[in-house]
Amino acid sequence: MTAKKAARLFAALSVALATLGLTANAEAQENKDKKIKIGVIFDLTGPLAGGGSELQYTGVKIMLDHYAKTGVEGYKVEAVYADAQSKPDIAINEAVRLLEQEKVDMVMGFFSSAQCVPVAARVDQMKKFMWITTCISSGVFDGKNYKYVFRPQASGSQYGMMTTDFIAQNSVAKFGKEPKDLRVAIIHEDGAYGVDVSKGNEAGAKAAGFNIVLKEGYAATAPDLSALVTKLKRAKPDVIFHTGYNPDITLLFRQAREQGLKFGAIVGHGAGYGVYEKLKEGLGADANYLFNTDPISIWLANQASMDKKLPPVIKMVGEEFDKAKPGVAIRSAHVGIGASNAFVFLDDVLPRAIKKYGGVDPDALRKAALDTDIPEGGTMLGFGVKFYGEGTQLAGQNERSFPVVLQYIDDKSYVVWPKSQMQRETVLPLPAGTTYSYK
Amino acid sequence: MQAFLDVFDIYFLEAVINGILLGGVLALLALGLNLIFGVIDVTWICYAELVMIGMYGMYYLVQYYHLPYWAAAPLVILLVALLGAALHFLVIAPLLTAPPINQLLATGGVLFILQSFATVAFGIDFRNLGIRLPVLALGDMNFSYARLLSFGAALIGMIGVYLFMTKTFTGTAIRAIAQDRQIMSLMGVDAKRIYLITSAIGGGLAGLAACLLVLQYDVHPFVGLSFGPVTFLICVLGGLGNFIGGFVAAFVFAEIISLGGLFSDLEWGYVLAFAFFIIMMFIRPAGLLARRS
Repeated sequence: MTAKKAARLFAALSVALATLGLTANAEAQENKDKKIKIGVIFDLTGPLAGGGSELQYTGVKIMLDHYAKTGVEGYKVEAVYADAQSKPDIAINEAVRLLEQEKVDMVMGFFSSAQCVPVAARVDQMKKFMWITTCISSGVFDGKNYKYVFRPQASGSQYGMMTTDFIAQNSVAKFGKEPKDLRVAIIHEDGAYGVDVSKGNEAGAKAAGFNIVLKEGYAATAPDLSALVTKLKRAKPDVIFHTGYNPDITLLFRQAREQGLKFGAIVGHGAGYGVYEKLKEGLGADANYLFNTDPISIWLANQASMDKKLPPVIKMVGEEFDKAKPGVAIRSAHVGIGASNAFVFLDDVLPRAIKKYGGVDPDALRKAALDTDIPEGGTMLGFGVKFYGEGTQLAGQNERSFPVVLQYIDDKSYVVWPKSQMQRETVLPLPAGTTYSYK
Repeated sequence: MQAFLDVFDIYFLEAVINGILLGGVLALLALGLNLIFGVIDVTWICYAELVMIGMYGMYYLVQYYHLPYWAAAPLVILLVALLGAALHFLVIAPLLTAPPINQLLATGGVLFILQSFATVAFGIDFRNLGIRLPVLALGDMNFSYARLLSFGAALIGMIGVYLFMTKTFTGTAIRAIAQDRQIMSLMGVDAKRIYLITSAIGGGLAGLAACLLVLQYDVHPFVGLSFGPVTFLICVLGGLGNFIGGFVAAFVFAEIISLGGLFSDLEWGYVLAFAFFIIMMFIRPAGLLARRS
């Protein structure tokens, strides 16, 4: 071999090695760069923050922090958080900012239905992926046929109908009245959330044959609800179905006490009713025996009938929550809802998008979400997940979700409906001697 | 006819009285804002946020430092009075000769600063004073002592401000300066001092409102949003700077809300009240009790 040939061979080998090295480096770099950037939007300031949004954020953050350590199928998980400030316009702007400027791959979260409705429309229009963990208005999906928006959470009308079913099934046994003789009032804050739940209440009340004596909305920021209380006194309802946030719930109860309103039961629907600590602080002993319809608290759910991988996750969420907010008497269901619904995405949808559909672009995520088929007991909230498919009335909504009726009794929270989940017999109507009892 | 008469039941009477009591709350809020506008000619957009700070003051003094309510209240009134004086000294005084829009924007900026400050300092949680006053029961009607207190305070506050303004030298100087800012300075009145006193009194009235509102509402950084716009409307409806006009407007506004809400949806009560405001702005743009020029 001449020196010239040897030099050529050496040069060729060098080029080959360099190419291999470069390829290996590129692959390493590519693996290193593989990540999903998730924009998370909740209300961290403004009236909704204390009404449950910040707790939902905490639940989602616990889960995202956990996956930031482990990653998903070789992808890093990076979260970018934004504050919607309890305002729909800010929520829209923040969603667009995160998607266009922060270049997030998707958006997640959203507490208020008033924000969900316009943000979902905007995000779907941009052909970006949106995973709603919290807001419940059916109006987000009803007839919209979105392709990129998904929600594992139960819908508002399901909330409304669950409570009326609960009362209807207990009407004779607890009130001694046929449903047609039971006087019910439906009151709600007048945003997308309250209106949607009240529609479910009304549909359920009509189906049960209740005598609806009052149905009325009000602004959650109204400084006075005394006229509403006076009307409730005049209507004399046995049961009040109420959907509200937090300041208005406390105001309603305070003015109801001051004006001497009496009733057999009041059933709330999530949001402010899901934050027992605040109810207790605002209402004192009157918070006892209140009902709240919400997805089950993950700490109350029957872990024996759950997928075996879930109890350790529930334990982890509880421990992280206790670290974040020590000394809380009842861990709010809000935290569990946020954590569980984020977990469904990170544990089920995202791995499938990466493995089966090759990445985290909106179409891969959409296809993976549409493939979701989790049976009942497969989530921390007890329900399963399967989304209504494209072209259906509620495309993107989880068809297997359901809320439960909880009752706060002596600083503890119990599932009292449906029967399959029941943890104790309900106290209904309010016991004699309590502030609002009409006995 | 009977159906018409049936409307005038005990609940109607309760709604009328509740309207009057709500009017007391709104009148109390409007009093300080009116005083400041009447004298200094600047609208404190952030007035309700001063009330919010006062409510937090009450909460912490009573809940954390375990002061009795009656001992905490004067401290809070003093605190918010000082805050009012500081607001004037730091923000308003440098802008006294600036265009009104600049003054509005400046106090609007203070509104956001106070909200953000409260969010950072006190957190987003709703706080409750935990004091539950008894209820006055008259037959089937029940009334809140907290609201009766507000009503009484508004009445006494208005009479007090009126007497102060008409019977004292400082009050006379305040009225004189309200009439002609430039001339009074030429006559030896220390306008800066008068403005500072007026701001402190306005702040003190916000503190008084805070002491009473904290008995009826939860405290949170955005509680001012529930009252700020309505208070401002009432001041305009009564005639900015006109105490009696503001007082009357508060009750008119509250009765429309209360009775409108009783006879229709609660939201319609507010719609009617705002519609009334708009109509009155056409008919009497200078306020309900303004003299026709």
